[in-house]
Amino acid sequence: MPSVFVYGTVFGGLAVQAGLRPLEVLGMSVLVFAGASQFVAVPMLAGGAPALAIVVTTYVINMRHYLMAATLAPSFRSFPRGWLAVVAHVINDESFAVAVARQNPPDPWVFIGSAIAVSGSFLAGAAVGTSLGGLVADPERWGLDFAFPAVFLALVALQLRTRTDALVALVAAVLAVVIALVLPSTWHVVIAGFAVSLTAAFVLKPEAA
Amino acid sequence: MRDDVWLVILGMAVVTYLTRAPLLLALARRALPPRLRLWLRLIPLAVLPALALPMILVARDAGGARLTASLGHPPLWGAVVVVALAAWRVNLLITVAVGVAVVAFLRALG
Repeated sequence: MPSVFVYGTVFGGLAVQAGLRPLEVLGMSVLVFAGASQFVAVPMLAGGAPALAIVVTTYVINMRHYLMAATLAPSFRSFPRGWLAVVAHVINDESFAVAVARQNPPDPWVFIGSAIAVSGSFLAGAAVGTSLGGLVADPERWGLDFAFPAVFLALVALQLRTRTDALVALVAAVLAVVIALVLPSTWHVVIAGFAVSLTAAFVLKPEAA
Repeated sequence: MRDDVWLVILGMAVVTYLTRAPLLLALARRALPPRLRLWLRLIPLAVLPALALPMILVARDAGGARLTASLGHPPLWGAVVVVALAAWRVNLLITVAVGVAVVAFLRALG
């Protein structure tokens, strides 16, 4: 889990740079525990985006959890509901990938073991990052403001499987730029992200999933 | 920093939990409909570039929003490097670090 630890460190460092207090950074990491959406929320918080826009954007980004929860559900059929309420909170991309790659249906204990390691590494990383983040005096000089869009671009480029995937990403990006020139705040994210993915899901063959 | 940070964090936590718990607790016995699966897979593919590109290409100030797309704009080259490295399946953190370094280097030349 060293990469999750470093990812947490980068998040903690950038969030403190952007003006969040260490307690807020750790609180977000414990309560939300969804790295990509946390990276998204930080510049929005710092840029004065409306609270509703941040929460809606978070929801849209994290909708992919529905897919993971539905895939994991059969493996957890024998678990008590109270346990499931806790396990649900630690559903994350890395542990899902590990558990599904190992066997299908996934072994619940492989998933739980990985989720404990991932959440521990991410929180430890975020804690270290918050204490390091204040040390950089001029983040723009070191290109650190570019770290946010860089993380988003790398995350999406790593997920592209087919040519239509790339087309969906490109159309959403261009549409978002156009909307961002006209509408305030970050509604371009919600509108372009929703409209393009929904349209593509209707137009494309479902086998492409 | 604004004074509603904890409120936003709480809102984020609630909506995120709502993406995780319902289907796990419902113990969905049958798979999701294929078209819904496809949509859920495509959402991040559309949302992430919709976030990233305007951060790179759109500048906002008191005068309104305008395009900053020029060849002398360091984040543009950082973006090209990041997409190329990630497409070659280079590790996420290395990709981001190289992108950040490219932007810092071009600004230093600036």
